[in-house]
Parts: sequence; C-alpha cells; structure tokens
Amino acid sequence: MLATVRQPGWTRAMTFVAIGIAFTYALSLGARAGLGYDPVLDGEAVLQIGLLSVPFFFLVGLGLFDYWGYWMSGKPTRAEDHSGHGAKSWKSYFYPNTDHKVIGIQYTVLSFFFLFVGGLFAMLIRAELAQPGRQFIDANTYNGVFSVHASILIFLFIIPVFAGLANYVLPLMIGAPDMAFPRLNALSFWLLPIAGVMMLSSFFAPGGSFASGWTAYAPLSNSAPIGQVFFTIGVQFAGASSIATALNFLVTIITMRAPGMSFFRMPLLVWANFSTSLLVVIATPFVAASQFFVLLDRALGFNFFDNGQGGDVLMYQHVFWFYSHPAVYIMMLPGFGIISEVLAVKSRKPIFGYRMMAFSLLAIVVLGFTVWAHHMFVSGMQSWIRIPMMITTAIIAVPTGIKIFSWLATLWRGVLKLDTPMLFALGFLTMFTLGGISGVMLAMIPITVHVSDTYFIVAHIHYVLFGGSLFTIFAGVYYWFPKMTGRMYDERLGKIHFWMTFVFFNLTFAPMHVIGVQGMPRRVADYADQFATWNLLISLAAFGTGLSTLVFAYNMIASWRGGPRAVGNPWRALTLEWQVTSPPPVFNFDAIPTVVGGPYEYGVPGAVHGVFADDPPPVMAGAKTVAGGAGTADAGAPPSDSDHA
Amino acid sequence: MEAAALSAPAHGHDHHGPPEANRSSRVEPQMLGMLLFIISEIMVFGAFFTAYFFIRIVNDDGWFPVNGVELPKLVAGFNTAILLSSSLTLHWAQTSAKNGNRFGLKAGMLTTFLLGFTFLFIQINEYIHVGFAPHDHAQGSIFYGLTGLHGAHVFIGLTLLGIVTVRAFRGHFTPEEHGGVEIPGIYWHFVDVMWIVVYTTIYIL
Repeated sequence: MLATVRQPGWTRAMTFVAIGIAFTYALSLGARAGLGYDPVLDGEAVLQIGLLSVPFFFLVGLGLFDYWGYWMSGKPTRAEDHSGHGAKSWKSYFYPNTDHKVIGIQYTVLSFFFLFVGGLFAMLIRAELAQPGRQFIDANTYNGVFSVHASILIFLFIIPVFAGLANYVLPLMIGAPDMAFPRLNALSFWLLPIAGVMMLSSFFAPGGSFASGWTAYAPLSNSAPIGQVFFTIGVQFAGASSIATALNFLVTIITMRAPGMSFFRMPLLVWANFSTSLLVVIATPFVAASQFFVLLDRALGFNFFDNGQGGDVLMYQHVFWFYSHPAVYIMMLPGFGIISEVLAVKSRKPIFGYRMMAFSLLAIVVLGFTVWAHHMFVSGMQSWIRIPMMITTAIIAVPTGIKIFSWLATLWRGVLKLDTPMLFALGFLTMFTLGGISGVMLAMIPITVHVSDTYFIVAHIHYVLFGGSLFTIFAGVYYWFPKMTGRMYDERLGKIHFWMTFVFFNLTFAPMHVIGVQGMPRRVADYADQFATWNLLISLAAFGTGLSTLVFAYNMIASWRGGPRAVGNPWRALTLEWQVTSPPPVFNFDAIPTVVGGPYEYGVPGAVHGVFADDPPPVMAGAKTVAGGAGTADAGAPPSDSDHA
Repeated sequence: MEAAALSAPAHGHDHHGPPEANRSSRVEPQMLGMLLFIISEIMVFGAFFTAYFFIRIVNDDGWFPVNGVELPKLVAGFNTAILLSSSLTLHWAQTSAKNGNRFGLKAGMLTTFLLGFTFLFIQINEYIHVGFAPHDHAQGSIFYGLTGLHGAHVFIGLTLLGIVTVRAFRGHFTPEEHGGVEIPGIYWHFVDVMWIVVYTTIYIL
C-alpha cells in the first residue's frame, strides 16, 4: 500500500490532492486567525488559495517534478533508462510521458474532448436563441454558458491542439529524436487538464459560472460572483502551459535541426510554429498579468481597477488586448503552416514564394503587437490612438494577403488531389478570406462604431476561428492521422464530414452578418422579434454543424481501432516525418537524416529533401536520375514525382 | 553546415537510447531556454509597468508622496546596493567554478545567497514600516504590485541559488560542467537588473 502511494501515479496524485486541500484550509485558517479577520473560516478565501495551490500538489503527486527533485538534491537521476519514454498501451496516455509523440496525442485528444464540450455549449446557446424569449436557461446561466464556450474553445482547444499537432510532427520534421526539454513538455501538457477542469467546474460555484465573457473586462470581473476566479486562475495554468511549450519549440527548432536543415530548408509548419512561439513567449505574460491584477483586486483588495481609489479600468483592456490580439495570430499561424504542408503535397507543386511565406509570418509577428487597440475603438480611450491603430490593422492584412496569394499560386496548374485534407485546406482558403475581409472592414473605425458588440463580430470571429483555424485543424488531423495512428481514416466519411461542415458552417454564420448589421446585440439571451426567422434558421444550421462533428468523431474512433494499416508515406510527401514508419519508431530515427534540399520540391526532377544513412549517396541536384532517396519505410512510394512535372 | 555534430558523450548503454541529436546551434539548449524565459519574465514586468504608468497618468496628484507619505528612498537605495553586490559575488562564484576554485565557488555562492536573503528581509521590513497598505489607494496597489512581483522573483532566484549552493557544498560542478551555476546565475543577474529598473521608476522618477 505504502509502495503504491510512494510510486508516482494517480494514487499518489490523489493523496497529494488531499494533502493540498488540508494545506489550503490550514493556510487560510492560520492566516485569517493570525491577522484577526472575522470569520476565521471564509469559503472564498479557501477556494482562491485552493485553486492556486492544489494543482501543484496534484502535479507533484503525479510525478512531474520527481526528476528535477532528484537532480536538485544532487541524487543520482534516472534519466538514461528512458523508462518514461514511449507508450506501451493505451493506459500510458493517462500518465506523464516524455515522448513527444505520446504528448502530441495526449494534447490532441484532450483538446478534441474540449472541442466537443465547447461545441455542446454552442448547441445550448443556439437552442436558447432559436426563438425570442426564454427557452431553456435564464439570462445569468446564458452569460456563463457563452463565456465558458469561448474560454474553453480558445484556451483549451485551438491553442493547445496546434501545440499538440506540432508536438507530434515538428521534431520529426526537423530530424530531431525528441523535443529539447521532454520533461517540461510533459509538464506543459498536464497543466492543461487542470485549466479545463477548473473552467468547467465553475458551474458548481455559488452564483454560477464566470459570466463576463472570455475577455473578463475588469470592473465586471472584479465584482462578479466567485465563479469568476475559476477563469482568472484557470487562465494562468493554460497560459503557463503555452509559454512552456513555446520555449520548448523555440529551443528545439534553433538547436536540434538535422544536419543541412538550414532555416530556409525548414518546412513552413516549422516556420509557423517558430513564429507562433515567439508570439506566445512575448505576449502571453500580459494575459497572466491582467488576470493577476484582477485576482489581487478581488482577493487582497488592491485598487488596480477601482476608479474611486485612483485605479484605471481602461488599463485592463490595454493589457488584455496586448496579449489577446497577438493571440488571434497564435490561433492562426500554426494553421497557416498546416495549410502550406497540405497544399504543396496535394497539388504536387513547390510552395510558391517559400521565402516570402516565411517572412510574412515574421511580419505578422511584428505587426501583431501594433494593433491591439482596434478592439477598443468604442471603449472611450483617447481618440487619437484610433487612427494609427486603424492604419496598422489595415497593414497587417498585407502579409496575410501575401500568404493567400502564394497559396493560390501554389495551386495554379497543380495536379490537385481533392481528398479530405485538401478539401479542408481549400475550404480554409475561401472561408478565411471571407473572415479576413470582414476583419479589414472592422478595422475601419466608422464600421466598428456601427457594428460593435453585434452579431457581425460573432460572424467575423467564427469565420476566422471556425472557417479559418478549425478547418486547418481538421486538415491537419486528417493529413497526419495515418502518421499518428498507423491507420488510414475513412475517406468517404471524411468527405461527408467536410461537406456537412462546410455547408452548415456557412448557413450558421453567414446570416449573422446580416442580423449584425441590422443591430442584433451579441452576448444577450433574448432579442427582438424581428430577428426570429434568421435565428431559427441559424439554430437549425448550428445543429447540423454539431451533427457533422459526430461524423468526424465516429470516423476517427472507428478508423483508429480498425482502419486499414497505413504505409509510411501514403501522400508521397518529401518532409522527413513521412520517411519513417507509421507510427514512427519510439526514438523517431535510427540515425539522424541529412537534409540536402528544400522541403517542397514536388515535381522537380531529382529533388531530394532528406537522406538517410542506409540510402545511396544523393545525386547532385538537377541530375536526371531520381536519387532513391528519401524513402526508407515503403519502397513503393517514390519520394518525388517527376511524372507530374 | 557550419555547426558540427556534437561529439557524443559516451552513453552508458548501447542501443535503447535515441540517436544523438544534431546540434544546429552553438548556444546551449538550457541557456537558450533560460534566455527565452527571461524575455517572458520581462514581459510580465512590462505589463506591471504598463499598469504603473496608467495609474500614474490618470491620477492628478500623480505619484508619491501620496497623503503625505513619502517612499523610503534611502533604505531602498541601500537595499539596491546589497542586491547589486550579490551579482558581483555571484560572478566570483561563476569564475571560480570555471577555474576549478572550489573555495571561491562555495564562498561566492554562500555570500550571494545571504545577500539576496538580506535584500528580501529588508524589503519585508520596508513593507511593515512604509505607512500605507495596498488597499489604501491605487498608487499603493502598484507599489506593492511591482515590488511584490520583484520580490517573488527574488524568492524564486534564491530558491535556485540555494540549490546551487547545496550542490556546490556537496562537491558538484567541475570546470568542464558548470552549467548548473551558469544558468541560475543568468536568472539572478536578470533579477538584479530588473530591480534597478523597478527602483528607478518606483522610487526615483
């Protein structure tokens, strides 16, 4: 018994959680008694201390700090037996693991769990809005539901699912055996379920869940019921997780590339995650700080946002949006990377303007920090800030436009293979362009003033986050599904999924532009009768979107269990992750490959990207013979397809 | 390819482990990780400084003295000197570690730790005697916010230094392998430099 408790794992984690709760009560009671507060037992104080401290007890109990503990105390560490590496059965996915492939799957599956939870909230929202008046939930619950919907999908789906996909494929793509800091990688995964459980459990708090939207504007979040701190503290854990992952990606990309993999031979997914990680490292501390301010105001009576005491409420919005505008690129740039991979492979052509694609990512990183106040055009800030912010916002559409046109030029005269990943990639191109155009409209101050806080905003954000990010995520999941699971997905179901999603998505969100311009306010549980017809249509289409997700879930689960075995390189791709078996061996490569050319030379005779030790030496580029090259696992798939040239 | 593959340290086992990763940069991964983390930390301070400037601008009476209470510039200045000298002793310890001077390493680490501890002790004393509380006014909030944030970083830095000190006394670190002194050391230097910025904005400006 004692041995089980001492062993890192769930038993010890739960024991430590119990110790953590006891510690929380002791600290709270002791501090309040010592300072002479009355009453000594205060539920809110206990809850706030507990939300901050119990997760650490949980993580220690689960064993995430064991190695560092040994190392710090100078005891012999147990690093070199690699016992914590690789999955032995499905149970391994429920324990900390240092293998980036296991962590990638943990991340992706957990994020999709939260997609379904967040999607269910969306269904609830649409059920309530199907008709004017009150149907299922009261106004306060409604506020909580849309707040949790947004927070869950932003902080626990879109941001981590990109980290998960990149976790799986990025080390393979650059020819690294693992991430630079595998234990930090495990820790950053295990911070996520904590944040998710925290946000969801806020519904059990007295006074209901946090109801101030995912933006949690300050005077409102300061005075909201205790459910608010579940957001305030939950965001800290999600933010810490993304900062740790971003550090890991940056160090991995900079220090662990295969020989010959110069920066301009990296696949664009690597470039995209490099740029995203820069954004995360620089911007995410601001959202942490904004929530610290709220927490200090709430818990310790600070006056950051109390106008009567000299505080400033607009400061919250500035600090929050200084993170949250770059955050929209954190939620989009990795998707750009996925699309570049899929489009090049599925149209059998080199990416058009590879260098401009990379530079435009970096341009977005820089410009992303100069536009935050366009979220505050109607906030009452100094009006002179608005014009420069309008101009920078219009400018940031330029690098994005470069990318869109480069993708179109990549497709130009390509040999398109319209399977599921490609369909989602093309769906992304059209839908994201629409969302981008409404974004440029919103950059214009007069339009923002007119449609601010209407359904036009809801339509815009869902066109860029659903039609944009989520479509790239689906494209990426279908594209790498064979690599990650070793099985092929069902192509027919995939196509059904795409067309259902595409049609119902547009039926759901396109009408929102119309009712938004007509003035239907967002974030309100009820609306004027004149919008009833449109809303009924939107709700029905939204349920269709919900159903399409079930097709996806069935396809993924059934194919993972019983789909046909995947070969190493089913897409005849050049990038390194496809040159190993599916799924890859536990340490990725027997020997690190050498990179001798660009990643997207599809249709170029004799082009080789990576050379493995057991291959014949590469023939000089431009020579007629196709170097046997890149393939190791499946000789059947030619590494380059000069037949299409 | 300019960066040569790392000459692999001999593995104790032969086949189970991963292939030795190529090293595509001359920067140590741990060092790079710490530098990036420090960028992140600078941004946390940046957010608090944003709050500071907003609060300072929106209030007509501006900054201290507020309600006749002045900040103890002299005590804090003395404290600044203590923290800065700890950077010097830390540098001594790091140089000693590189040169294999065990006495210098141990003495340097111990002095650094004690100086850092003194800094924190004086700062807590300052909180007790400063004459206002964070809930009195927004200026007090950001004073406690910024110095408290820095104090938390001193605490983290002290924890790291404490570990290094214990390891130094246990005979760890060699001239070849002293990353365990270098990398926490960079963090401590960052904490010191950040204090100069905090001190200048809060007390002097």
